[in-house]
Amino acid sequence: MIDSYYNFQQQLEREGIMFSFVGPVSHNVVEGVGTVLRNKLELEAVSTNVSLKVFSIFVEQIQNVIRYSADRIPQDDFESEISFGMLIVGEKDDQYFLIGGNRVTVEQKERLDSFLAKLALMNKDELKQYYKDRRKADPDEHSKGAGLGFIEMARKSSKPIKYNFEAIDDTSYYFTIETVV
Amino acid sequence: MEILTIKPTKSTPEITLDPVNHIHTIKGESYPENSMEFYRGVFDWLDEYIESLDDEQAVVFNIELIYFNSSSSKVLMDIFDIFDDACEDGKNIVVNWIYEEDNEAILEYGEEFAEDYEDLKFHFVIIEE
Repeated sequence: MIDSYYNFQQQLEREGIMFSFVGPVSHNVVEGVGTVLRNKLELEAVSTNVSLKVFSIFVEQIQNVIRYSADRIPQDDFESEISFGMLIVGEKDDQYFLIGGNRVTVEQKERLDSFLAKLALMNKDELKQYYKDRRKADPDEHSKGAGLGFIEMARKSSKPIKYNFEAIDDTSYYFTIETVV
Repeated sequence: MEILTIKPTKSTPEITLDPVNHIHTIKGESYPENSMEFYRGVFDWLDEYIESLDDEQAVVFNIELIYFNSSSSKVLMDIFDIFDDACEDGKNIVVNWIYEEDNEAILEYGEEFAEDYEDLKFHFVIIEE
């Protein structure tokens, strides 16, 4: 257990974390937290470009959690889909970082792993072309959006996106993805 | 046909589709929970509109978005595909891509659309502050 919540908060602050969320996320969180994040960046007098890049990655990352997390409550029960996951936004060495995490199935892991490995090898021009090609193609059967979210994140990130799969048990992994602006 | 108006929310744009003045506008933010579902009514409206449109009629489509997510980008492409086909058939449609000067990402994404279409023309318009 956490013995001091003050220490806990300080520890997060030392890591440069300005925002962290673990739990159920739905579209309301995207709108609400997204707005707070944008206001915060405006207050820090960050340029519109940087602020919109951070916001853009935030939206794609959290919409990915909502759509693809293996921990979810079906939409039929509520107005919106609710999924469980993690989202961290922070600032370190004059750069913003965003980390997203959620549980995925073994099958999802296989697919994501090869897709993200492919993205990691592309430069900005190749990412742009791939984004356009994929936008023209019909979304694949596993995709609930346009299947463009990760490519968008890679295009907006100033470094290649980092990702990791941590085995939880025989049937699932904890997937994390990290982008930097 | 009747005018279609949709009020804006935090994550969806203000939409006005006007069959009388032939000036249409999508303005604001676009990152809906489900983009395809949100824009379904727009596609239904446009299909009927283009069908009834005279070739000589000048049509202006204003896109004035501050931010749109990747699935909205797919929707925009589908809309421009419809316009591009209509222009090829002799219709007179132009897109005004309206943006604030410091919003480089929006300009870049507009230019990426513009370079993909032959018949549909894009005009880039900076909002004066």
